[in-house]
Amino acid sequence: MPYNIIVLIKQIPDLELIKVNPSTGEPILDGVPYRFENLSKNAVETAVRIKEKNGGKITAILFGNDKATQVMKEAYAMGVDEGFIITGYQESNPIITARVLSEKIKQIPHDMVILGNQSADSMTGLLPGMVSSLINEPLLSSAVSLEVNNRTAKISSGTEREVLEMEAQMPVVISVAQEINEPRFPPVMQIIAAGRKKINIESSQIKSESMTKLVSRKAPKSDRKRIVFEDVDKGAQEVAKVIKEVAR
Amino acid sequence: MKFMIFSDASDLSKQIMTYLRGKGDFFLYTTEDRPELLSYGATKVTVLKGDQTPESLSSFLSSEFKSNGFDSIFIASSVIGRDVASYLAQSLGLKAVPEIYDVSINGSNVKTKRYGLGGKVVLEEESDAKIFTFIPGISDDNPSGGNSPSESKEIQKGRVTITAVKPKKGREVDLEKASIIVSVGRGLGKKEGIQQIEPFVKMVKGELAGSRPVCLDYKWLSEDRQVGYSGRKVKPKIYIALGISGQIQHIAGMRDSKIVIAVNKDKSAPIFQEADYGIVGDLYQVVPKIMSYL
Repeated sequence: MPYNIIVLIKQIPDLELIKVNPSTGEPILDGVPYRFENLSKNAVETAVRIKEKNGGKITAILFGNDKATQVMKEAYAMGVDEGFIITGYQESNPIITARVLSEKIKQIPHDMVILGNQSADSMTGLLPGMVSSLINEPLLSSAVSLEVNNRTAKISSGTEREVLEMEAQMPVVISVAQEINEPRFPPVMQIIAAGRKKINIESSQIKSESMTKLVSRKAPKSDRKRIVFEDVDKGAQEVAKVIKEVAR
Repeated sequence: MKFMIFSDASDLSKQIMTYLRGKGDFFLYTTEDRPELLSYGATKVTVLKGDQTPESLSSFLSSEFKSNGFDSIFIASSVIGRDVASYLAQSLGLKAVPEIYDVSINGSNVKTKRYGLGGKVVLEEESDAKIFTFIPGISDDNPSGGNSPSESKEIQKGRVTITAVKPKKGREVDLEKASIIVSVGRGLGKKEGIQQIEPFVKMVKGELAGSRPVCLDYKWLSEDRQVGYSGRKVKPKIYIALGISGQIQHIAGMRDSKIVIAVNKDKSAPIFQEADYGIVGDLYQVVPKIMSYL
Protein backbone atom coordinates (compact mmCIF):
# COMPACT_ATOMS: atom_id res chain seq x y z
CA MET A 1 0.00 0.00 0.00
CA PRO A 2 1.51 3.34 -1.03
CA TYR A 3 1.88 6.01 1.65
CA ASN A 4 2.05 9.78 1.54
CA ILE A 5 4.80 10.83 3.89
CA ILE A 6 5.79 14.27 5.12
CA VAL A 7 9.28 14.71 6.53
CA LEU A 8 10.19 17.75 8.59
CA ILE A 9 13.80 18.75 8.06
CA LYS A 10 16.08 21.40 9.39
CA GLN A 11 19.24 23.22 8.43
CA ILE A 12 21.71 24.12 11.18
CA PRO A 13 25.00 26.01 11.34
CA ASP A 14 27.97 23.66 11.07
CA LEU A 15 28.62 23.39 14.82
CA GLU A 16 32.21 22.21 14.56
CA LEU A 17 33.11 25.29 12.51
CA ILE A 18 31.78 27.82 15.01
CA LYS A 19 34.63 29.69 16.65
CA VAL A 20 34.39 31.63 19.87
CA ASN A 21 35.62 35.21 20.15
CA PRO A 22 38.36 34.86 22.77
CA SER A 23 37.82 38.29 24.32
CA THR A 24 34.02 38.24 24.61
CA GLY A 25 33.36 34.50 24.78
CA GLU A 26 30.59 34.91 22.22
CA PRO A 27 30.22 32.58 19.23
CA ILE A 28 31.15 33.90 15.79
CA LEU A 29 28.34 32.85 13.47
CA ASP A 30 29.12 35.09 10.49
CA GLY A 31 30.27 33.05 7.53
CA VAL A 32 29.58 29.70 9.20
CA PRO A 33 28.03 27.44 6.55
CA TYR A 34 24.72 25.68 7.07
CA ARG A 35 24.32 21.95 6.81
CA PHE A 36 21.66 19.24 6.92
CA GLU A 37 20.77 18.56 10.57
CA ASN A 38 21.78 15.03 11.64
CA LEU A 39 18.44 13.57 12.70
CA SER A 40 16.63 15.22 9.79
CA LYS A 41 18.73 12.95 7.58
CA ASN A 42 17.62 9.92 9.61
CA ALA A 43 14.03 11.09 9.15
CA VAL A 44 14.43 11.36 5.37
CA GLU A 45 16.13 7.96 5.25
CA THR A 46 13.22 6.44 7.20
CA ALA A 47 10.71 7.89 4.74
CA VAL A 48 12.69 6.80 1.67
CA ARG A 49 12.92 3.22 2.92
CA ILE A 50 9.14 3.09 3.38
CA LYS A 51 8.62 4.49 -0.12
CA GLU A 52 11.03 2.00 -1.66
CA LYS A 53 9.08 -0.86 -0.14
CA ASN A 54 5.52 0.39 -0.44
CA GLY A 55 5.48 3.19 -3.00
CA GLY A 56 3.97 6.61 -2.37
CA LYS A 57 5.22 10.17 -2.21
CA ILE A 58 7.54 12.03 0.13
CA THR A 59 7.13 15.75 0.77
CA ALA A 60 9.74 17.60 2.80
CA ILE A 61 9.01 20.79 4.71
CA LEU A 62 11.78 23.02 6.05
CA PHE A 63 11.25 26.15 8.12
CA GLY A 64 14.30 28.30 7.53
CA ASN A 65 15.51 30.91 5.11
CA ASP A 66 16.34 31.05 1.42
CA LYS A 67 19.82 29.66 2.13
CA ALA A 68 18.15 26.33 2.76
CA THR A 69 17.95 25.27 -0.89
CA GLN A 70 21.19 23.29 -0.60
CA VAL A 71 19.76 21.14 2.19
CA MET A 72 16.54 20.62 0.22
CA LYS A 73 18.57 19.52 -2.81
CA GLU A 74 20.34 16.95 -0.65
CA ALA A 75 16.95 15.74 0.54
CA TYR A 76 15.82 15.43 -3.09
CA ALA A 77 18.95 13.45 -3.90
CA MET A 78 18.14 11.05 -1.06
CA GLY A 79 14.67 10.41 -2.48
CA VAL A 80 12.31 13.23 -1.45
CA ASP A 81 9.79 14.00 -4.24
CA GLU A 82 8.67 17.52 -3.43
CA GLY A 83 10.03 20.17 -1.09
CA PHE A 84 8.70 23.28 0.57
CA ILE A 85 10.91 25.86 2.20
CA ILE A 86 8.97 28.18 4.47
CA THR A 87 11.01 31.32 5.00
CA GLY A 88 10.84 33.62 8.01
CA TYR A 89 12.79 31.61 10.57
CA GLN A 90 14.36 33.97 13.10
CA GLU A 91 15.53 31.94 16.06
CA SER A 92 14.93 28.70 17.92
CA ASN A 93 11.42 28.79 19.35
CA PRO A 94 9.70 25.42 19.11
CA ILE A 95 6.23 26.91 19.63
CA ILE A 96 6.56 29.10 16.53
CA THR A 97 8.31 26.40 14.48
CA ALA A 98 5.59 23.89 15.38
CA ARG A 99 2.85 26.34 14.36
CA VAL A 100 4.50 27.19 11.04
CA LEU A 101 5.11 23.53 10.16
CA SER A 102 1.64 22.43 11.29
CA GLU A 103 -0.06 25.05 9.11
CA LYS A 104 1.72 23.60 6.08
CA ILE A 105 1.19 19.96 7.13
CA LYS A 106 -2.57 20.56 7.28
CA GLN A 107 -2.55 21.55 3.58
CA ILE A 108 -0.90 18.31 2.44
CA PRO A 109 -2.71 14.96 2.47
CA HIS A 110 -0.57 12.50 4.40
CA ASP A 111 -0.43 9.22 6.28
CA MET A 112 2.72 9.93 8.28
CA VAL A 113 4.75 12.91 9.46
CA ILE A 114 8.33 11.92 10.25
CA LEU A 115 10.90 14.08 12.08
CA GLY A 116 13.96 13.81 14.33
CA ASN A 117 13.34 13.57 18.07
CA GLN A 118 15.88 16.20 19.20
CA SER A 119 17.88 18.41 16.83
CA ALA A 120 21.65 18.61 17.07
CA ASP A 121 21.89 22.39 17.59
CA SER A 122 19.05 23.69 19.77
CA MET A 123 18.24 20.27 21.28
CA THR A 124 14.89 21.32 22.72
CA GLY A 125 13.20 17.97 21.99
CA LEU A 126 9.82 19.74 22.08
CA LEU A 127 8.88 19.80 18.41
CA PRO A 128 7.44 16.28 17.92
CA GLY A 129 4.90 16.58 20.75
CA MET A 130 3.93 20.11 19.75
CA VAL A 131 3.32 19.13 16.12
CA SER A 132 1.35 16.05 17.23
CA SER A 133 -0.74 18.23 19.49
CA LEU A 134 -1.35 20.96 16.88
CA ILE A 135 -2.37 18.65 14.03
CA ASN A 136 -4.15 16.33 16.47
CA GLU A 137 -2.47 13.11 15.34
CA PRO A 138 -0.97 10.54 17.73
CA LEU A 139 2.80 10.52 18.28
CA LEU A 140 5.03 7.48 18.09
CA SER A 141 8.09 8.83 19.79
CA SER A 142 11.82 8.14 19.45
CA ALA A 143 11.60 5.24 17.04
CA VAL A 144 14.65 3.01 16.72
CA SER A 145 12.75 0.80 14.27
CA LEU A 146 9.57 1.24 12.24
CA GLU A 147 7.23 -1.08 10.39
CA VAL A 148 4.15 -0.05 8.49
CA ASN A 149 1.38 -2.40 7.54
CA ASN A 150 -2.16 -1.71 6.40
CA ARG A 151 -2.22 1.86 7.75
CA THR A 152 -0.84 0.86 11.13
CA ALA A 153 2.59 2.16 12.15
CA LYS A 154 4.50 0.11 14.67
CA ILE A 155 7.74 1.24 16.31
CA SER A 156 10.26 0.22 18.91
CA SER A 157 10.93 3.22 21.09
CA GLY A 158 14.17 3.39 23.02
CA THR A 159 13.58 5.15 26.31
CA GLU A 160 16.33 5.37 28.92
CA ARG A 161 15.48 2.09 30.63
CA GLU A 162 13.17 0.17 28.36
CA VAL A 163 12.37 -0.60 24.78
CA LEU A 164 8.67 0.04 24.26
CA GLU A 165 6.90 -1.49 21.30
CA MET A 166 3.95 0.63 20.32
CA GLU A 167 1.58 1.16 17.46
CA ALA A 168 -1.03 3.59 16.21
CA GLN A 169 -3.37 4.02 13.27
CA MET A 170 -2.43 6.51 10.57
CA PRO A 171 -2.33 9.44 10.22
CA VAL A 172 0.45 9.50 12.76
CA VAL A 173 3.50 11.55 13.75
CA ILE A 174 6.72 9.57 14.13
CA SER A 175 9.86 10.99 15.74
CA VAL A 176 13.05 9.06 15.08
CA ALA A 177 16.23 8.52 17.08
CA GLN A 178 19.68 8.31 15.53
CA GLU A 179 19.86 4.53 15.93
CA ILE A 180 16.99 3.93 13.49
CA ASN A 181 19.20 3.85 10.40
CA GLU A 182 22.35 4.97 8.62
CA PRO A 183 21.39 7.76 6.17
CA ARG A 184 22.51 7.06 2.60
CA PHE A 185 25.01 9.01 0.54
CA PRO A 186 23.15 9.55 -2.72
CA PRO A 187 24.96 8.70 -5.99
CA VAL A 188 26.36 11.55 -8.07
CA MET A 189 23.70 11.21 -10.79
CA GLN A 190 20.96 11.72 -8.24
CA ILE A 191 22.68 14.79 -6.83
CA ILE A 192 22.95 16.31 -10.32
CA ALA A 193 19.30 15.54 -11.06
CA ALA A 194 18.27 16.99 -7.71
CA GLY A 195 19.94 20.29 -8.56
CA ARG A 196 17.52 20.83 -11.42
CA LYS A 197 14.38 20.03 -9.49
CA LYS A 198 11.98 22.80 -8.46
CA ILE A 199 11.90 23.86 -4.82
CA ASN A 200 8.76 25.59 -3.57
CA ILE A 201 9.53 28.63 -1.47
CA GLU A 202 6.79 30.25 0.59
CA SER A 203 6.96 32.79 3.34
CA SER A 204 5.57 32.20 6.79
CA GLN A 205 2.39 34.04 7.72
CA ILE A 206 3.01 33.47 11.42
CA LYS A 207 4.75 36.25 13.29
CA SER A 208 8.03 35.24 14.86
CA GLU A 209 8.40 35.88 18.56
CA SER A 210 11.11 35.06 21.07
CA MET A 211 10.63 32.30 23.59
CA THR A 212 12.83 34.10 26.10
CA LYS A 213 14.83 37.25 26.53
CA LEU A 214 18.46 36.39 25.92
CA VAL A 215 20.67 37.79 28.68
CA SER A 216 23.91 36.21 27.61
CA ARG A 217 25.18 33.68 25.09
CA LYS A 218 28.78 32.80 25.79
CA ALA A 219 31.04 29.79 25.70
CA PRO A 220 31.37 28.32 29.18
CA LYS A 221 34.59 29.51 30.76
CA SER A 222 37.24 26.88 30.52
CA ASP A 223 40.15 27.49 32.84
CA ARG A 224 42.02 24.34 31.99
CA LYS A 225 45.80 24.43 32.30
CA ARG A 226 46.30 23.27 28.70
CA ILE A 227 49.80 21.87 29.30
CA VAL A 228 50.47 19.81 26.20
CA PHE A 229 53.46 17.47 25.91
CA GLU A 230 54.81 16.42 22.55
CA ASP A 231 57.50 14.42 24.31
CA VAL A 232 55.56 11.27 25.19
CA ASP A 233 57.95 10.13 27.89
CA LYS A 234 57.92 13.44 29.70
CA GLY A 235 54.14 13.72 29.36
CA ALA A 236 53.60 10.19 30.68
CA GLN A 237 55.75 10.95 33.72
CA GLU A 238 53.84 14.12 34.51
CA VAL A 239 50.43 12.52 33.96
CA ALA A 240 51.36 9.54 36.16
CA LYS A 241 52.28 11.99 38.90
CA VAL A 242 48.87 13.69 38.66
CA ILE A 243 47.03 10.35 38.73
CA LYS A 244 49.05 9.14 41.73
CA GLU A 245 48.23 12.28 43.69
CA VAL A 246 44.47 11.82 43.21
CA ALA A 247 44.43 8.04 43.57
CA ARG A 248 46.34 8.21 46.82
CA MET B 1 5.38 28.48 45.44
CA LYS B 2 3.82 25.17 44.54
CA PHE B 3 5.67 23.01 42.04
CA MET B 4 4.59 20.03 39.99
CA ILE B 5 7.33 17.54 39.08
CA PHE B 6 6.98 14.85 36.45
CA SER B 7 9.70 12.25 36.05
CA ASP B 8 10.00 8.74 34.70
CA ALA B 9 13.58 8.38 35.92
CA SER B 10 14.24 7.98 39.63
CA ASP B 11 17.75 9.47 39.55
CA LEU B 12 16.35 12.66 38.04
CA SER B 13 13.35 12.65 40.40
CA LYS B 14 15.79 12.66 43.31
CA GLN B 15 17.96 15.41 41.84
CA ILE B 16 15.00 17.67 41.08
CA MET B 17 13.49 17.16 44.54
CA THR B 18 16.84 17.90 46.19
CA TYR B 19 17.16 21.01 44.03
CA LEU B 20 13.68 22.31 44.87
CA ARG B 21 13.86 21.66 48.59
CA GLY B 22 13.46 24.94 50.47
CA LYS B 23 12.17 26.76 47.39
CA GLY B 24 8.52 25.79 47.83
CA ASP B 25 6.16 22.84 48.11
CA PHE B 26 6.63 20.18 45.49
CA PHE B 27 4.46 17.30 44.33
CA LEU B 28 6.10 14.43 42.48
CA TYR B 29 4.26 12.59 39.71
CA THR B 30 6.24 9.56 38.62
CA THR B 31 5.82 6.39 36.61
CA GLU B 32 8.11 4.57 39.04
CA ASP B 33 6.79 2.93 42.15
CA ARG B 34 9.85 3.20 44.38
CA PRO B 35 9.67 3.64 48.15
CA GLU B 36 12.93 5.62 48.29
CA LEU B 37 11.28 8.48 46.39
CA LEU B 38 9.19 9.14 49.50
CA SER B 39 12.14 10.38 51.52
CA TYR B 40 12.98 13.55 49.55
CA GLY B 41 10.48 15.95 51.07
CA ALA B 42 7.69 15.89 48.47
CA THR B 43 4.32 17.06 49.79
CA LYS B 44 2.84 14.10 47.94
CA VAL B 45 4.08 11.41 45.58
CA THR B 46 1.66 10.20 42.92
CA VAL B 47 2.54 7.00 41.10
CA LEU B 48 1.10 6.92 37.59
CA LYS B 49 0.04 3.45 36.52
CA GLY B 50 -1.69 2.24 33.38
CA ASP B 51 -0.94 3.87 30.03
CA GLN B 52 2.59 5.26 29.87
CA THR B 53 2.42 7.11 26.55
CA PRO B 54 3.23 10.83 26.66
CA GLU B 55 -0.13 11.87 25.29
CA SER B 56 -2.10 9.98 27.95
CA LEU B 57 0.25 10.98 30.77
CA SER B 58 0.05 14.64 29.84
CA SER B 59 -3.71 14.71 29.56
CA PHE B 60 -3.85 13.48 33.19
CA LEU B 61 -1.12 15.91 34.30
CA SER B 62 -2.84 18.79 32.57
CA SER B 63 -6.01 18.33 34.61
CA GLU B 64 -3.96 17.87 37.81
CA PHE B 65 -2.17 21.13 37.07
CA LYS B 66 -5.46 22.99 36.68
CA SER B 67 -7.17 21.53 39.72
CA ASN B 68 -4.22 21.92 42.11
CA GLY B 69 -3.17 25.47 41.27
CA PHE B 70 0.51 24.71 40.66
CA ASP B 71 2.82 27.61 39.83
CA SER B 72 5.18 25.76 37.52
CA ILE B 73 6.03 22.34 36.15
CA PHE B 74 9.46 20.71 36.38
CA ILE B 75 9.98 17.76 34.09
CA ALA B 76 12.89 15.34 33.97
CA SER B 77 14.41 15.48 30.52
CA SER B 78 13.96 11.97 29.15
CA VAL B 79 12.49 10.55 25.99
CA ILE B 80 9.03 10.53 27.58
CA GLY B 81 9.57 13.69 29.66
CA ARG B 82 10.34 15.89 26.67
CA ASP B 83 7.17 14.77 24.90
CA VAL B 84 5.11 15.29 28.05
CA ALA B 85 6.52 18.83 28.33
CA SER B 86 5.56 19.69 24.77
CA TYR B 87 2.00 18.39 25.16
CA LEU B 88 1.56 20.31 28.42
CA ALA B 89 2.92 23.51 26.86
CA GLN B 90 0.35 23.22 24.08
CA SER B 91 -2.63 22.11 26.14
CA LEU B 92 -2.08 24.61 28.96
CA GLY B 93 -0.88 27.40 26.66
CA LEU B 94 2.25 27.91 28.79
CA LYS B 95 5.77 28.76 27.72
CA ALA B 96 8.38 26.07 28.10
CA VAL B 97 12.15 26.41 28.43
CA PRO B 98 13.75 23.06 27.69
CA GLU B 99 16.92 21.30 28.83
CA ILE B 100 17.85 23.69 31.61
CA TYR B 101 20.40 23.02 34.33
CA ASP B 102 19.79 26.07 36.48
CA VAL B 103 16.73 28.13 37.35
CA SER B 104 15.78 30.93 39.69
CA ILE B 105 12.19 32.03 39.97
CA ASN B 106 11.23 35.49 41.12
CA GLY B 107 7.48 35.99 40.85
CA SER B 108 6.65 35.63 37.18
CA ASN B 109 10.22 36.33 36.08
CA VAL B 110 12.33 33.24 35.61
CA LYS B 111 16.06 33.11 34.97
CA THR B 112 17.30 29.92 33.35
CA LYS B 113 20.52 28.48 32.02
CA ARG B 114 20.84 25.91 29.25
CA TYR B 115 23.27 24.97 26.51
CA GLY B 116 22.87 26.23 22.95
CA LEU B 117 24.52 25.50 19.60
CA GLY B 118 25.01 21.85 20.44
CA GLY B 119 26.65 22.63 23.78
CA LYS B 120 29.07 25.25 22.53
CA VAL B 121 27.51 28.13 24.46
CA VAL B 122 25.51 28.73 27.61
CA LEU B 123 22.25 30.59 27.11
CA GLU B 124 21.27 32.71 30.09
CA GLU B 125 17.69 33.73 29.56
CA GLU B 126 14.78 35.46 31.22
CA SER B 127 11.18 34.58 30.56
CA ASP B 128 7.76 34.07 32.07
CA ALA B 129 7.90 30.35 31.28
CA LYS B 130 6.13 27.89 33.57
CA ILE B 131 7.33 24.58 32.16
CA PHE B 132 10.94 23.39 32.31
CA THR B 133 12.72 20.22 31.34
CA PHE B 134 15.79 19.49 33.46
CA ILE B 135 18.87 17.71 32.15
CA PRO B 136 20.62 15.19 34.43
CA GLY B 137 23.17 16.48 36.89
CA ILE B 138 21.39 19.62 38.13
CA SER B 139 21.98 18.75 41.73
CA ASP B 140 23.37 16.12 44.03
CA ASP B 141 20.95 13.60 45.35
CA ASN B 142 20.33 14.04 49.08
CA PRO B 143 17.35 12.45 50.83
CA SER B 144 15.78 14.64 53.50
CA GLY B 145 14.39 11.75 55.47
CA GLY B 146 10.72 11.80 56.38
CA ASN B 147 8.02 9.98 54.58
CA SER B 148 5.88 11.65 51.90
CA PRO B 149 2.30 10.48 51.59
CA SER B 150 1.72 8.60 48.35
CA GLU B 151 -1.12 7.48 46.14
CA SER B 152 -1.41 5.82 42.78
CA LYS B 153 -3.53 6.80 39.81
CA GLU B 154 -4.58 4.83 36.76
CA ILE B 155 -3.89 6.57 33.45
CA GLN B 156 -6.51 6.05 30.74
CA LYS B 157 -5.44 4.58 27.42
CA GLY B 158 -5.00 6.94 24.47
CA ARG B 159 -4.53 6.60 20.74
CA VAL B 160 -1.16 4.87 20.93
CA THR B 161 -1.10 1.24 22.08
CA ILE B 162 1.93 -0.14 23.86
CA THR B 163 2.18 -3.78 22.80
CA ALA B 164 5.34 -4.84 24.62
CA VAL B 165 7.79 -3.52 27.20
CA LYS B 166 11.29 -4.96 27.18
CA PRO B 167 13.68 -3.83 29.87
CA LYS B 168 17.02 -2.67 28.53
CA LYS B 169 20.03 -4.43 29.89
CA GLY B 170 20.60 -3.09 33.38
CA ARG B 171 23.12 -0.36 33.84
CA GLU B 172 26.55 -1.80 34.36
CA VAL B 173 28.11 1.28 35.89
CA ASP B 174 27.38 4.38 37.83
CA LEU B 175 29.71 6.75 35.98
CA GLU B 176 28.37 9.73 37.89
CA LYS B 177 29.95 8.34 41.04
CA ALA B 178 33.34 7.33 39.59
CA SER B 179 36.32 9.31 40.81
CA ILE B 180 38.50 8.42 37.82
CA ILE B 181 37.07 7.83 34.34
CA VAL B 182 39.06 6.51 31.40
CA SER B 183 37.15 7.39 28.25
CA VAL B 184 37.90 6.13 24.76
CA GLY B 185 37.02 7.62 21.40
CA ARG B 186 37.21 6.84 17.72
CA GLY B 187 41.00 6.95 18.00
CA LEU B 188 40.85 3.52 19.63
CA GLY B 189 40.50 2.21 16.07
CA LYS B 190 39.15 -1.26 16.87
CA LYS B 191 36.92 -3.07 19.31
CA GLU B 192 39.82 -5.22 20.56
CA GLY B 193 41.45 -1.99 21.73
CA ILE B 194 39.12 -2.07 24.74
CA GLN B 195 40.92 -5.13 26.10
CA GLN B 196 44.24 -3.37 25.71
CA ILE B 197 43.00 -0.39 27.72
CA GLU B 198 41.36 -2.40 30.51
CA PRO B 199 44.55 -3.09 32.50
CA PHE B 200 45.14 0.67 32.66
CA VAL B 201 41.57 1.28 33.85
CA LYS B 202 42.09 -1.33 36.54
CA MET B 203 45.43 0.10 37.59
CA VAL B 204 44.02 3.60 38.20
CA LYS B 205 40.88 2.08 39.80
CA GLY B 206 38.77 3.88 37.24
CA GLU B 207 35.65 3.23 35.23
CA LEU B 208 35.62 2.80 31.48
CA ALA B 209 33.54 5.16 29.34
CA GLY B 210 33.35 6.18 25.70
CA SER B 211 32.33 8.83 23.21
CA ARG B 212 29.12 8.70 21.21
CA PRO B 213 30.60 6.97 18.12
CA VAL B 214 32.24 4.29 20.29
CA CYS B 215 29.04 3.52 22.23
CA LEU B 216 26.25 4.17 19.73
CA ASP B 217 27.71 3.82 16.23
CA TYR B 218 30.36 1.10 16.64
CA LYS B 219 28.88 -0.39 19.84
CA TRP B 220 32.34 -1.18 21.23
CA LEU B 221 30.96 -0.21 24.64
CA SER B 222 27.44 -0.34 26.01
CA GLU B 223 25.17 2.68 25.70
CA ASP B 224 25.23 3.34 29.44
CA ARG B 225 28.94 4.15 29.22
CA GLN B 226 28.46 7.00 26.76
CA VAL B 227 29.63 10.37 28.04
CA GLY B 228 28.26 13.39 26.24
CA TYR B 229 25.39 15.78 25.94
CA SER B 230 23.09 12.98 24.89
CA GLY B 231 24.64 10.49 27.30
CA ARG B 232 25.92 10.65 30.85
CA LYS B 233 27.14 13.88 32.38
CA VAL B 234 30.08 13.17 34.64
CA LYS B 235 32.36 15.09 36.96
CA PRO B 236 35.10 12.77 38.19
CA LYS B 237 38.28 13.91 39.91
CA ILE B 238 40.22 12.85 36.81
CA TYR B 239 38.83 12.37 33.31
CA ILE B 240 41.27 10.67 30.97
CA ALA B 241 40.28 11.06 27.30
CA LEU B 242 42.03 8.59 25.00
CA GLY B 243 41.68 9.12 21.24
CA ILE B 244 38.77 11.51 21.70
CA SER B 245 38.81 14.49 19.35
CA GLY B 246 36.72 16.65 21.66
CA GLN B 247 33.60 17.42 19.68
CA ILE B 248 31.26 19.73 21.53
CA GLN B 249 28.72 16.91 22.01
CA HIS B 250 31.33 15.11 24.14
CA ILE B 251 32.68 18.13 26.01
CA ALA B 252 29.16 18.93 27.24
CA GLY B 253 29.19 15.64 29.16
CA MET B 254 32.59 15.96 30.88
CA ARG B 255 33.10 19.69 31.21
CA ASP B 256 32.72 19.66 34.99
CA SER B 257 35.51 17.14 35.57
CA LYS B 258 38.10 18.34 38.03
CA ILE B 259 41.23 17.42 36.07
CA VAL B 260 41.19 16.47 32.40
CA ILE B 261 43.98 14.47 30.77
CA ALA B 262 43.93 13.97 27.00
CA VAL B 263 45.90 11.71 24.71
CA ASN B 264 45.51 12.22 20.99
CA LYS B 265 47.61 11.75 17.85
CA ASP B 266 46.38 15.00 16.37
CA LYS B 267 48.08 18.00 17.91
CA SER B 268 45.25 20.28 16.78
CA ALA B 269 42.44 18.15 18.27
CA PRO B 270 40.01 20.41 20.17
CA ILE B 271 40.22 18.14 23.24
CA PHE B 272 43.57 19.75 24.10
CA GLN B 273 41.76 23.07 24.62
CA GLU B 274 39.61 21.36 27.25
CA ALA B 275 42.45 19.50 28.96
CA ASP B 276 44.77 20.31 31.84
CA TYR B 277 47.39 17.85 30.64
CA GLY B 278 47.70 16.67 27.07
CA ILE B 279 50.03 14.19 25.43
CA VAL B 280 50.38 14.20 21.64
CA GLY B 281 50.87 10.60 20.59
CA ASP B 282 49.43 7.20 19.79
CA LEU B 283 47.36 6.02 22.73
CA TYR B 284 48.68 2.48 22.33
CA GLN B 285 52.18 3.79 23.01
CA VAL B 286 51.30 6.47 25.53
CA VAL B 287 49.13 4.35 27.84
CA PRO B 288 51.80 1.66 28.57
CA LYS B 289 54.26 4.48 29.15
CA ILE B 290 52.00 6.10 31.74
CA MET B 291 51.49 2.68 33.35
CA SER B 292 55.23 2.23 33.63
CA TYR B 293 55.43 5.34 35.81
CA LEU B 294 52.48 4.46 38.05
